[in-house]
Amino acid sequence: MIAQAIGGRLDYAVMLTYFIAVLGFGLYFGRYTAGTKDFFFGGQRFAWWLIAFSCIATVVGSYSFIKYSEVGFKHGISSTQTYFNDWFWMPLLVLAWIPIIYYKRIVSIPEYLQARFDQKTRIMATFIILLYLIGYIGINLIALGRTMKTLLGWEVMTGATITAVAVALYVYAGGQTAVIMTDLAQGIILLLAGLGLFAGAIYHFGGFGEFWALLPQEHKYAFSDFADPPKFSFIGIYVQDGLANTGALMLMHQAFIMRFLSLKSVKDSRRMVVAWILVLTPLAAIATSCGGWIARALVNTGELDTTAEDSFVKAANFLCAPGVFGFILAALTAALMSTADSLVNAVSAVFVNDIWRPYIRRNAPDKHYLRVARIASLAAAGLGLALVPVFMLKDTLYEAHGMFTAAITPPVLTAVFLGILWKRYTPMAGFLTIAGGSLVIGLSFVWPDRLIGPFDFGMGPGSYSFMRALFGLLAAGAIGAAVTQFTKPRPDTEIKGLVAGTQTDAMREFKGGEPNRRPGRKVRLAAHIDSTLSGTNTIVVPPSALDRMAAEPGDLLYASDVRWWYGGLRSVHVKAAAGPAPAPGKAVLNLMHISPEDAATAHFTDGQEVVVEKTM
Amino acid sequence: MNMLRVWPIVWQFGIGGLLCLVGIWAGLRGGYLNLHIREDRRLLVILIGGYLLLLVLMAVFTFWAPYWSHGESL
Repeated sequence: MIAQAIGGRLDYAVMLTYFIAVLGFGLYFGRYTAGTKDFFFGGQRFAWWLIAFSCIATVVGSYSFIKYSEVGFKHGISSTQTYFNDWFWMPLLVLAWIPIIYYKRIVSIPEYLQARFDQKTRIMATFIILLYLIGYIGINLIALGRTMKTLLGWEVMTGATITAVAVALYVYAGGQTAVIMTDLAQGIILLLAGLGLFAGAIYHFGGFGEFWALLPQEHKYAFSDFADPPKFSFIGIYVQDGLANTGALMLMHQAFIMRFLSLKSVKDSRRMVVAWILVLTPLAAIATSCGGWIARALVNTGELDTTAEDSFVKAANFLCAPGVFGFILAALTAALMSTADSLVNAVSAVFVNDIWRPYIRRNAPDKHYLRVARIASLAAAGLGLALVPVFMLKDTLYEAHGMFTAAITPPVLTAVFLGILWKRYTPMAGFLTIAGGSLVIGLSFVWPDRLIGPFDFGMGPGSYSFMRALFGLLAAGAIGAAVTQFTKPRPDTEIKGLVAGTQTDAMREFKGGEPNRRPGRKVRLAAHIDSTLSGTNTIVVPPSALDRMAAEPGDLLYASDVRWWYGGLRSVHVKAAAGPAPAPGKAVLNLMHISPEDAATAHFTDGQEVVVEKTM
Repeated sequence: MNMLRVWPIVWQFGIGGLLCLVGIWAGLRGGYLNLHIREDRRLLVILIGGYLLLLVLMAVFTFWAPYWSHGESL
């Protein structure tokens, strides 16, 4: 890495200003957190575009700019191939998984595993997922600490501590709402910084054609060679990232589960995934990798001398004016904070929902769980920070966490995948898929040649860290399928709403009645706070408004501020009731009667114009 | 044709296509994805369109873009 700090005082001032702004921004949203539903799921009220930005900010970690630029410098545009695997999971995500967790009010993966299988599977998954998440917080913090050391000359622990404290503070105050709102800012910053750098480079070279011409021929392919080199082969990256990691991200990553549950409706998940995967992800792929491509082109013109590892920072420093480079540094910080905050909030959710609430203190008031959740957030950040010196002392522990992740991701993913799709899949099979799969993958570290060798496509030991994912998926799947043949499945009535084919049952359960999926329109009404509706969670609207929404009394509605850019921050879920029809010859008053508590939840004032739509 | 460049597309879009079919089957089974509803039909079109868009993009950057003339404006 670069031996000395780079950047000037103006750069550091820009970065510091950004850091303080994000902290203040996050703390501000504490006012929108009144209970655990707000703390973990932001009140389930956010618009699709806000969640799409939040997802992309979480996907892009602090290491992304450095890592993908390094790969881009060595291999060219195939550095982006890990970003283009996500779409294939979308049908399963929007047509099965999100409806199941949203309508069944599943708040964590362990909870799903208990509902679908049994308690012992939940307990095992709880500890595995907590270890996985806390280790990841540590890895993100050490990645940022090392980057800060390169950029600013700070000790690794100093950068990690400052970031951990900032993240812990705003997650403590604002929970998921703070995470989502800061992620919006951080997602924009990191995309602007990366794409701005790319645009600046194109201008520097005199056009895209000139830039393209400076790249070696073998750097211009979308994919690397099928089975070469072992550490960057297509097949290795595909099975490790495209199948295991992306599948885990979609189906078993607690932070993403919480994002999906923060949407105002399941219908919004469809728009969200299109914006996230088809629009923002390709932009993020360019933003994170372009540093390496630019550095390679600059090396070819003789304007820059760099190693692959330093390519992002050196290319940015070469192209950016003082102050602008500080903006790039801020993007790196943004990438770290937007990933770490999600993980901290996710650990808190698993701890409260899967340990504290079921085993330590049941049926306590929600305020109690909110307090525990906040303390758990601080503890999660603290534990992640405590791992930083441990990881620094022994790289083997750092690697051990990587191995642990590789060992547990495929079995848990397989259990969830088969649990969703296969009704016959039994509780014992689910348990042994995770336990047995993890054990067999663990053995692959002892006998790699015997176990992974047959799946390495002739690439040898250099590919094992990638091909272990394929072995793990196949081994866990085989265990699950075999055990299912000899054990008894749960009756269909017990898994209704938890498996594919029963999503509409889950919808009925969620609504408490038959879902209304007739297409309707949004309506604008004036809020009228009506204390007679107190405690009913119902709004009374004119019959004409119900007609326009294609809604009926008892349907679920969503009322929000007319200012779209709030993204649902000022909104509330309610049930519909029809007001009296106007007397003949009298004008229809476009009023929405709402209870004082629902108005307070949505931050509506009397007479304020709001938008109302049917969600189900 | 260099098959080492073709196999990645076959694998990614072959297995990816199977995953998409599994997801669509999971939606159709039980009637959650209801093709009598316009927005569900639109979703299906978007899912297939996204797949094809990525396939075209990857094909361009495998068979065409690497051979764009040096220094030529695009």
